Amino acid sequence: MSVGTPTRSTIPKTRTSGRQARTAALLLAPFAVIFLGMYLAPLCFAVYRSLFVLKRDGLGLTAPTLVFDPFTNYLKAFTDPVFIESLGRVLLFGVVQVPVMLALATGLALLIDSRSARAKGFFRLTSFLPYAVPGVIAALMWSFLYSGTSSPINALLAPLGIEIPFLGQDMVLWSVANIVTWGWTGYNMIIIYAALQSIPGEILEAAKIDGASAWNIAWNIKIPMVRPALILTAVFSIIGTAQLYNEPKVLQSVSGGSIDSAFTPIMAAQAATAAQNYPYAAATSVILAVLVGILSITFFKITNRGSDA
Amino acid sequence: MKSLKRWGITTVGALAATLALTACGGASGAPVETGTPAPSSSEAAAPAELTFWGWAPGYADSVKAFNASQSDVVVKYEEIQPGSRGGYEKMLNAVQAGNAACLGQVGYETLTSFAAQGALEDVSQYANANQGEYVEFAWNSVKVGDKVFGAPVDTGPMAMYYNKELFEKHNIEVPATWDEYKTAAEKLKAANPKIKISSPYANYDYAGMSWQAGALWFGIEGDSWKVSVDSDENKKVAEYWQSLVDAGTISKAPMYDPAWFKGLGDGSIATLVGAVWQAGVIKGDAADGAGKWAVAPMPQWDAANPSVGNVGGSATAVLKGCETPEAAWKFANFLSTDADSYGNLIDKAALYPAAKALLDLPQLTKEDKYFSGQKIFDVFKEEALKVNTDWTWGPNMPLTTTKLDDGLNKGWAGNGKLVDALVEANTATVENMKSQGINVAD
Repeated sequence: MSVGTPTRSTIPKTRTSGRQARTAALLLAPFAVIFLGMYLAPLCFAVYRSLFVLKRDGLGLTAPTLVFDPFTNYLKAFTDPVFIESLGRVLLFGVVQVPVMLALATGLALLIDSRSARAKGFFRLTSFLPYAVPGVIAALMWSFLYSGTSSPINALLAPLGIEIPFLGQDMVLWSVANIVTWGWTGYNMIIIYAALQSIPGEILEAAKIDGASAWNIAWNIKIPMVRPALILTAVFSIIGTAQLYNEPKVLQSVSGGSIDSAFTPIMAAQAATAAQNYPYAAATSVILAVLVGILSITFFKITNRGSDA
Repeated sequence: MKSLKRWGITTVGALAATLALTACGGASGAPVETGTPAPSSSEAAAPAELTFWGWAPGYADSVKAFNASQSDVVVKYEEIQPGSRGGYEKMLNAVQAGNAACLGQVGYETLTSFAAQGALEDVSQYANANQGEYVEFAWNSVKVGDKVFGAPVDTGPMAMYYNKELFEKHNIEVPATWDEYKTAAEKLKAANPKIKISSPYANYDYAGMSWQAGALWFGIEGDSWKVSVDSDENKKVAEYWQSLVDAGTISKAPMYDPAWFKGLGDGSIATLVGAVWQAGVIKGDAADGAGKWAVAPMPQWDAANPSVGNVGGSATAVLKGCETPEAAWKFANFLSTDADSYGNLIDKAALYPAAKALLDLPQLTKEDKYFSGQKIFDVFKEEALKVNTDWTWGPNMPLTTTKLDDGLNKGWAGNGKLVDALVEANTATVENMKSQGINVAD
C-alpha cells in the first residue's frame, strides 16, 4: 500500500456507496436491457402506434399513410360494441371463474395439507398435472370432448336422452371457464400449499390443544395466514383472465359461431391486426392493459385494507 | 411499511399492465426481422439477380429449370411459410422494412389487399404483352384497375365431388341443377337421416358459390369501390343454402376439421362442391373414401347458361421495391407458362394451370385411383372454360372474411341466418373502407 493511499477507515463514505452503486448497476444491467427491450419498448411502441390513424385515398391502391390523430382509435374502441362486448364477456368470466378456481385450489391445498391426508405427493402431483399440459393442447383435447359431432360425454349420455350443448351460445363461455379452471387450479393449489407449509407448527399445535376442530383451524388460522398467497394467485388470475385467448381460439372452429372473432379483447385486437389495422389493434391493447392495471390495483387495495390497521 | 406496500401495489399494477400489453405488443405491428434481404440491383452486364418467396411444392425445381434455361436472370428461391400461416405477414413486414424479395407467391383473394397496402409493383408495361396467354379470369385476378401486379400461376375451377357409391346405392341421379341438388339432399336424408348432402362453407370456399351465381362482392366504378356482399344475387345464394340448413341436410362438421374428413370417408357427407385442388385434400385426409368418390360438374342455377365459380389459385406477384421488375416478370411468366416445369407442379402440388397452352399437359389426363379411375381433370378442363370472369376481390379481404365467417358459422350451426352474415360483412367492410378514406360508391 503506497503512501497517500487512504486506509480503509479513511475512505470517504461516498466512494464506497459509489462502488456499490456501480456493482449494482452492473448486476442489474442485463435485466434492465431485457426489460427495456422486451417490455418497455414494445409497450411504448404500441402506445405510439395507437395515436395514428390509417388513411388511404381513392381506390386505396397506394400505400396507406399514418396520420397523427390521437383520439380517433380510442374513441372508436369505446364506441365499438363488439370490443365493449368482449370486455364485458371477459369481466363476467373473471368474476365467476377466478373465485371458483381459487376456492377449489384452496380446498385442495387444505385437504392435502391436512394431517390425516395420505399419499400427499401423489395427490399434489395429479392435481398439478393439468398445468403441465400446454394450453393449446388442453384446449384441443377439450374441443374433442365438447364437439357436437364427437363428444364422448354426449355419446354416453345419449341413452338417457340428455345432450349437453357444451358449445351452445349460452354455455360456451362456461365451457371455456371449465378448461381454464381445469388447467390452472393445480398451479394455484401449489402456491397456496407452499404457503400452508410455512405456517409455524406451534400455532397449529396450540390451537389443537385449545380444542379447535380441523375445520376451525382451517378457517380461522390457515386461511388467514395464507392470505398473501391467495392475493397473489388472485391477481395472477385476473391478469390471466384478461389475456384469455388460447382456449376460445381453439374452440372457435368447432363452436358453430358461438365464439366469434372478437370473443375476447385479445382476439378482437388480433382480428384488427389481421385486417391490417395495426393502430386500432394497438389502441385496444392499451385500453385492455390500463383496465387490467386498474383492476389489479383496486383488488390489491381492497384486499389489503384489513391489514392496514 | 406503508411505502413498501405502495411500492408493491405499483409494481403489481405495472406488471399487470405490462403482461397484458406484451400479449398484444407483438401483434401490434413491430416489424419482424425477416431473414435474407433482397439482393442488390444488378450490376451492368451481370445477370439480374432476384429472390422469390413461395411455398408450393415443386417451385424450387421450377426455379432451377428457369436458371438453366437462360443467362440474363438468376432467381434465388426461398421457401417460406404458406401465406395464411405467416408468409403474407413476412412479405408485408419486409416491404415496410424495405428488404422484401422481388417476387412472392400471393393468393388471388389476398392480392388486392396487398395492392391496397401499397405492397405490390405495377408491371403492366412488361406484362400486358403476355395477357393473351392466360385464361381470362385468372388474368383479371392479378389486375386491379388497369395495373398488373404479377403472373397468375394456377386456378381453382369448381366442380362437385360426390360419393358415387352412396348415390348409386340409393338410386339417386347426380344433380345437374341446384334444385336437383336439394331433391337429392332430401332423398338421401329420407334413406338415412345420418347422411347429409354437404357441410358448412366458410370464407373463400363460400365465395366460390357466390362467384358461380354471378353474385359479385366487389367492383370498381371509376374511382370508387362498389361493395355488394349483401346484394340480391348474394342473398339468393345464402337463402338457398339456408333452406338446406333448415331442412337438416347440412352436416355440422366444419370444413377441414377431423370430423369433416371422417364424414367424407364414412359416407355421412355425400358431396363437396369445391375447387380442383380439393381433390388432393380429400385423397390425403379422407383415405376411407377411396374408390367411392367421383367428380361431376357443379350444379347450375340455370342449366341453359352454365356458370362455374373459382376457389383459390395464386399469382407470382412483384413486391414493392423490386429493382428489376422486368426480370421479375420474365421469371413469373416462365413459371406459369413453361410446359416442362409446370408438368412437375401438377404432379407435386396438384396445381391447375392458368395458362391456356398448358391445359393439354399429359399430367392432366391421368386416371385417378381414388376416384375409381376417373380422369378427373377432364371435368375441370370443361368447367374451367365456364368460370365467371367478372369477379373482383376487395381491398381488405381479411376484414371482410372475418366478419363474414362470424356470421356464416352461426348460420350453418342454426344459431342465425346466413343472409345476416352477408349484411354484417357488407356493413363492416363499407365502414372500414370509409373510415380509412377509400371511396365507396353507394
